[in-house]
Amino acid sequence: MKCWKFIPIASVILLFSCSKSLTVEQENRTVEEGYYSSAQRIQQAVIGGYADLRRALLANYAWMMYGEARAGDLSVTVPYQEMVLNQELTADNRFVTQLTDWGYFYDVIKDANDVLDIVAAADEETLNAYQRNLFKGEALALKSITYFYLARIWGAVPSAEKNNFGSRLSSEEVITQAVIWAAEAKALLPWILLNDDGIESAALTAVRFNKTAVTLLLAQEQLWLGQGQNAYNLLSNTFTAATADSLSGFGLSVGKDRRTDIPEAPLNGSVVRMPLDRLNAIYPTGDARRGSMFNISASQNIATLIVRDAGILDLLPRREIDLLFAEAAWRSGQLEEAKEHLISAAAGATEDYNTLTEETFGAALLLERQRLLVGTGQRFFDLIRFDEVSSYIPAFTEADVEKGAAYWPLSANSIKGNSLSQNDFWSHP
Amino acid sequence: MRLLPEPAGRALFFLLVSFGITMGLWAQDSVRVDSMIFSNRSGLENILQGSVAGLRVKSWSGTPGAQSTLNLRGLSLDPTDQSTMPLILINGVPIIAGPSNVTGINPLNYYSPEQVERIEVIKDIDRLAAYGVQAPNGALNIIMKEGESGSIHVRGSAFAGVNFLQNMDYHKDAFYNFNTRARREVYGSGSMIHEQNLLVDGAGTYGSYLFGLTNHQDKGIIQNTGLGRQSLFLNAKYNITDKFSAHFYNNLALANRNGRYAGEYSRDITLPVVADETFFMDKNRNIGIISSMGLTYQFSPAFKVSSVAGLSYEGASRDAYIPSNVLEGSIYASSVAYKRQLITLNTSLNYLHDFSDALKLDMAIGNEIRSTDDRLTSVNGARSMEDGGSNYVKVVTGYNANQVNALSDHEREKLLSFYGIWKWKYKKDLGVNMVLRADGSSLYKNKWALYPALGIHYDLENKLKLPVKVNASIGKTGVLSRPEVYRGALDAYGDYYGGNYLGVGQLYPAFGAAKSVGVTQVDLGLSVAILPSLHLSVDYFNKTYRDFTYQRFLPNISGINYEYETGGVLGLSGFEWALDAKWIQTDRFSWTSNLNIAFYRNKVKELPGDIENTSLAYMGALSKGSAVTSLIAYEGKQPKVIGNSEPNAFGGFSNTFRYRNISASMVWTYAWGSNIIAESFTSRYYADRVGNEFPLKSAETPYYLASTNADGRTVYQGIRTVEDGSFVRLSRAAVSWHLSSASKKLAQLSDLEVFVRGDNLLILSRYSGINAEENITGSRRYDLSYTGTPLPSSVALGVKLVF
Repeated sequence: MKCWKFIPIASVILLFSCSKSLTVEQENRTVEEGYYSSAQRIQQAVIGGYADLRRALLANYAWMMYGEARAGDLSVTVPYQEMVLNQELTADNRFVTQLTDWGYFYDVIKDANDVLDIVAAADEETLNAYQRNLFKGEALALKSITYFYLARIWGAVPSAEKNNFGSRLSSEEVITQAVIWAAEAKALLPWILLNDDGIESAALTAVRFNKTAVTLLLAQEQLWLGQGQNAYNLLSNTFTAATADSLSGFGLSVGKDRRTDIPEAPLNGSVVRMPLDRLNAIYPTGDARRGSMFNISASQNIATLIVRDAGILDLLPRREIDLLFAEAAWRSGQLEEAKEHLISAAAGATEDYNTLTEETFGAALLLERQRLLVGTGQRFFDLIRFDEVSSYIPAFTEADVEKGAAYWPLSANSIKGNSLSQNDFWSHP
Repeated sequence: MRLLPEPAGRALFFLLVSFGITMGLWAQDSVRVDSMIFSNRSGLENILQGSVAGLRVKSWSGTPGAQSTLNLRGLSLDPTDQSTMPLILINGVPIIAGPSNVTGINPLNYYSPEQVERIEVIKDIDRLAAYGVQAPNGALNIIMKEGESGSIHVRGSAFAGVNFLQNMDYHKDAFYNFNTRARREVYGSGSMIHEQNLLVDGAGTYGSYLFGLTNHQDKGIIQNTGLGRQSLFLNAKYNITDKFSAHFYNNLALANRNGRYAGEYSRDITLPVVADETFFMDKNRNIGIISSMGLTYQFSPAFKVSSVAGLSYEGASRDAYIPSNVLEGSIYASSVAYKRQLITLNTSLNYLHDFSDALKLDMAIGNEIRSTDDRLTSVNGARSMEDGGSNYVKVVTGYNANQVNALSDHEREKLLSFYGIWKWKYKKDLGVNMVLRADGSSLYKNKWALYPALGIHYDLENKLKLPVKVNASIGKTGVLSRPEVYRGALDAYGDYYGGNYLGVGQLYPAFGAAKSVGVTQVDLGLSVAILPSLHLSVDYFNKTYRDFTYQRFLPNISGINYEYETGGVLGLSGFEWALDAKWIQTDRFSWTSNLNIAFYRNKVKELPGDIENTSLAYMGALSKGSAVTSLIAYEGKQPKVIGNSEPNAFGGFSNTFRYRNISASMVWTYAWGSNIIAESFTSRYYADRVGNEFPLKSAETPYYLASTNADGRTVYQGIRTVEDGSFVRLSRAAVSWHLSSASKKLAQLSDLEVFVRGDNLLILSRYSGINAEENITGSRRYDLSYTGTPLPSSVALGVKLVF
């Protein structure tokens, strides 16, 4: 009888069988493991991405600071506005420092990548085909728009993707990748989203990525890369007579947030205003947009934006379709069609755009984009794309812009944590 | 036995086949409670203060029902948490012993010292390893009294006295110059303290019984606050057959404590508008239940099996409201309930074997299941008084859905353990203890950890005729990490989409490599009987803690702020000296003394690389060999060590004098070499408001602390003083008179004792505050979090009767 030899084996088996009884199911807790067990919970993760995008763009009025406030079109009544307007972006001010930190944007990228992993791991019982396509498409679109913001704000930025985490990519490389994600998302996203009862919901569609919005994003990205023909093909193949009734813009749902640094009404006239002389310069007397887009107070010498839907902050509005069409057509050598789209977009303008030539079209388009997209945070990006920063920003010379003045400086955190260095301009501003 | 090969097979047999005793380990120090001076304050830990070398009992708060800080060779990275607390057992069964954050009532307050027979202090590794990951910082085993032989005995005792705080000096008060007039009023009048105990017991061949009830009331030195405790208990042993016996222990306690005084909690509030601050209702109610049942079957004189099931439960609830005269028309109310339960089941087989007359083995193998289940529910809300009502209308019936916050949480944890204990005895001289324990925890992916220990004890008396005993041991235990480390977390953001959906954002992955902190301990001991009446013992220990879990901050492109990592090595070592003397022992007069002193040193042995990017960044100023408990502050732009919150040495000195039937005893406690830093109440700045340069303030030190507030702003906190925290305290003193003549006259009365007892009667210290132990972290913060209320003195008169 050598049965004692089996005792250690039995003991080992006993110990390992105990491991199962040592697993505690978590209740009432948002723990990572096993949480995403239903479509509703996965949707929460998607919404988390939007919530983070909202923080990235709204905390400290960032979208405005990166856009119209930096360009001087709109003023925000916060103490650091002056520093941003004066291009003092390395100022020792904690709000400006936060604006130079890209951490919030990378939070969105992490959220989106998490959603992609979660959707890939979910079985067919958890997600139906519509939900799978929607969530994956939204995650790709969120990732695309976020990298696009990063490249437009900082130029070259590090990748946060698994395959090349931390490597510094040029803005062209980043946007090229963003184009691929947006194109993939476009194939997945519906024109109109369904609510929980399975009914088409315009309200839901307006605050989540949809096919119209991702197409606008993709067109913007292609135009940024100088791919006018691709953008033209995309727009003309997507926006046809058959799809005219399905269009929807995309904006951030705004309102109460747990984070107190995020404004509930970001375009509220008590904070965001346009000085009257600026309004007069951009929208000359007679321009119908003065009345349709602004409340003008001559006594206070300011104009404030009319907010049509207080629940949404437009990022990719429907009114940009014609502007992008115009630009894509112009860039692909179809000036006449470009003019048609610009005229259609610019209804209410005092100018006669029929007389535009190849040379004058760019300036007119830039002006109409400034007029129509005011409040969406795109103005400064447009100056960069049209290579007009030094013309409109008196603080910068062309040489400054060449050294990187148009982009934002890197925060100390970004430099230190990612082994980066400040660009030529901001290292000695 | 003969079937097994010799000698390896025999050893293996003992290792794996045999099962043994309960964990009735012999304790290193065993303190007989009846011989100690009790404390007027409730809380069993207070009677141990100053009595055991190496056991530090810090009276940090005068709030009745607050637990004194207990430390027995414990070290933690976080000086404010309870991870340095020893394991507390009652009759060998683990109990919930740390106070809940909800009511703060001390679970060691559920028992009267009159119930306790003795307290075993377990600190050497060859005993501790048997408790594995439960007892990295020593253990206290409280053995409850059992019935004494005889059909019935009735024991009654009672005392009554007063708390007082001599001369409420606002210069000494931690609230320094904060609503001083109110504080003087609130502390001015003193308060009552009284206790009654009744025990009935007996024993015979059937077994033994003891039951009783207690009542303790401490009205508290702060006006209209106070602690009450009532308990009922039963300790019964029943011999079902001559081989089979059962042991039941039950203790049911109700405890309540009232707070009402905003200044009791924080200095960081707006100065109260009501003169004596009687504006705050704060009702704390606890119910504590301990129940255990042990069954033992003795197969043969050498072989027995026993199983002990234990249940420890505490329900703690707190209800608070602030009426509208304080909140300018609004009222605020909250209700929190926290229920904790601990269930243990310990089954073991014990086998005694004599190899020869010289070599004997006492062995035990068993397993232990430990399951904790804690549930928290809280709701709080505010309501404006626009609808009318009086200042003191409670808001509970008026919750408005938009103004209510509700929270519910449920925390469970399981621990499964197997252990073996082998105690070898060779003649009278040599004892060898071997312990092996495997702990499996629900907290970790890698469930199992192994804790071995070996100890050798040698008595030189027999061979060398020297009254000297030596011992040496080495082994391992561990400290469980916090649960959130293992399971990961989702950071949730609310209120997106008009409140319809909760957006779940950053996903923190579970830390798969999570594990317990490993503690390796080495002990050396020497015990010498210098004279038959004079014993000296010296113990040395050295503990090395490794693999702490901390956060590693990630680059800001990671989308999450940190990930967990393990690393770091800390050390704690010390000498503990104890001198027990019976100077005079005659029929008429006796004098005994105990002097104990412990010299401890903790140090950093290794810190994680790139420590600035971890949650341990505050230790960045420390180098190898620096004290872990260093107090670190900035001077200019450089962080530097400006003190140490732990003393160089601490201990106690007790003397008991008896003349005929009158005895007098006193316990002094002391510590020296610690520092206390007091944060300034006025020198506190936002860094960006002072140009990132800390402005020096006259009459304060050049040191300051830097922290980041919730908005991400850097805050500079000036330090007003760096002080010496050394003190000597007359912790307890008592005079008692056994009235033997009276008891002789009453045939039924077998003993009658009258006593006068005092707590905290004298403190000598250069510390500018009231109590040198009042700051848990050694740092008095500007908002007084972690600083206790003033510790009162008390004097009581009492009587004990035995029928």
